Amino acid sequence: MRQEEGLWHRLDVIARSISPFFVTLLLVLLSLLPLRIADLSPIVPALALIGVFFWSVHRPDLMPIWAVFVIGLFQDLLTGSVIGPGIVGLLIAHALVVWQLRFFLAASFSVVWVAFMLVAAAALGVTWLLTSIALMTYLDPAPLFFQYLVTTAFYPCLAWAFLRGQRLFHR
Amino acid sequence: MKKPTGSEIRVASPLKAWASRFALLLLVGAAFGLMLIGRTNTFLVEDTRTAVTDMVTPILDAVSQPVDTFSGIIEQAESFTRLSAENQALREQNARLLQWQAVARRLEAENAALRDLKNMVPDPAMSYLTARVVGDPGGAFVRTVLINAGERNGVEKGQAAITGDGLAGRIAEVGQRSARVLLLTDINSRVPVVVGEARDRAVLAGDNSNAPELLYLGPTAKVQVGDYVTTSGHGGVFPPGLPIGVVSAVGERGIRVQPFVDWAHMEVLRIVEYALTGILDFEAEVGAARAAAAAAAEAGQ
Repeated sequence: MRQEEGLWHRLDVIARSISPFFVTLLLVLLSLLPLRIADLSPIVPALALIGVFFWSVHRPDLMPIWAVFVIGLFQDLLTGSVIGPGIVGLLIAHALVVWQLRFFLAASFSVVWVAFMLVAAAALGVTWLLTSIALMTYLDPAPLFFQYLVTTAFYPCLAWAFLRGQRLFHR
Repeated sequence: MKKPTGSEIRVASPLKAWASRFALLLLVGAAFGLMLIGRTNTFLVEDTRTAVTDMVTPILDAVSQPVDTFSGIIEQAESFTRLSAENQALREQNARLLQWQAVARRLEAENAALRDLKNMVPDPAMSYLTARVVGDPGGAFVRTVLINAGERNGVEKGQAAITGDGLAGRIAEVGQRSARVLLLTDINSRVPVVVGEARDRAVLAGDNSNAPELLYLGPTAKVQVGDYVTTSGHGGVFPPGLPIGVVSAVGERGIRVQPFVDWAHMEVLRIVEYALTGILDFEAEVGAARAAAAAAAEAGQ
């Protein structure tokens, strides 16, 4: 009996430890769904960035840097853009959070949101720059700016949902 | 191995801090390396990409069906409120279209007669394959969509993808079960076109905006707003005469074309299987022709 309990317990623990990674992969898939709403297509929020940022802040042990790399690679492969700039953007977001981790641990929800705005601006800006260099052309930053606004507006909804999910996990 | 540590703070020893900083540089360097590989060895990137989209497309297919049904229900409900006005408009449109159908039939007969007369080489046959759009990555950097048909269904690289309104894009990558369509508006899209009644040749180049630009027009071409833009068929890649759009602006930002396709309501794409192999298959064709000639020469000897 104890061995069985031990097995289930171990599976449960493994499931909890890999779930942020897989939830963020699911977010990438979610951002691919065709929504069929006019003019929404260029300003789909960068959901993977929200996921990476959130778990880098709240569970940095479950969102290690190589997981961020894999998520970025998955996202770049599926969106069809140049492979590389998206990965670097996510890595920079993760690195910025880890650098200031002590600050985040003591911060309230709205402060974390404001920090997300700064981190997202850096990540998306770097992605834009590298994509422009890779394609050797000046990409119009206007649609990217609107994507940034939609992403920062989306952050509180997703963060709230994830926080509730986390509390469920740690009942 | 990941250890479940709850929400405790992980105090990093100096060695771990150094290792994690090293990991960041290493991974950023790996990302740059991928960027370089992506620009030089495109086959590797394509194969990886199509393998990943093949894995993901069945999931997207399953999920997007209820999304489509749901938005279809909403559209039905909306249309109920405008029934009688729509009915009247449709009746008028029907009458106009019947007239056009008669004109088209007459022209078709005339065309066939003239071709016969001139002993003209017949246009290769066109057949269509219909696929659903299951993925729309959006974003500011690319304009592509994923469809749920692949090599198994007969999709090949370079085929045109059209909707009922006009040309939407071109098949850029093909997997076993999925394919990626590069839309007209994407920055990498270049389509040879003819413009207006004078049928001036030009190239329609996308730039990730909603109105692609016409490039390489000859110096004597006079293009006005409202001119009709269709595919020219040059290069043999696209069949000629596919409607693309109308010229919407002539000015400092270049000559802009407003495509006919309604991007927001692009649920289904028709892939045109054009029997003429274009420049993409040129080398394979030349190789096959040479092999056939060599075999014939040997048999002759």
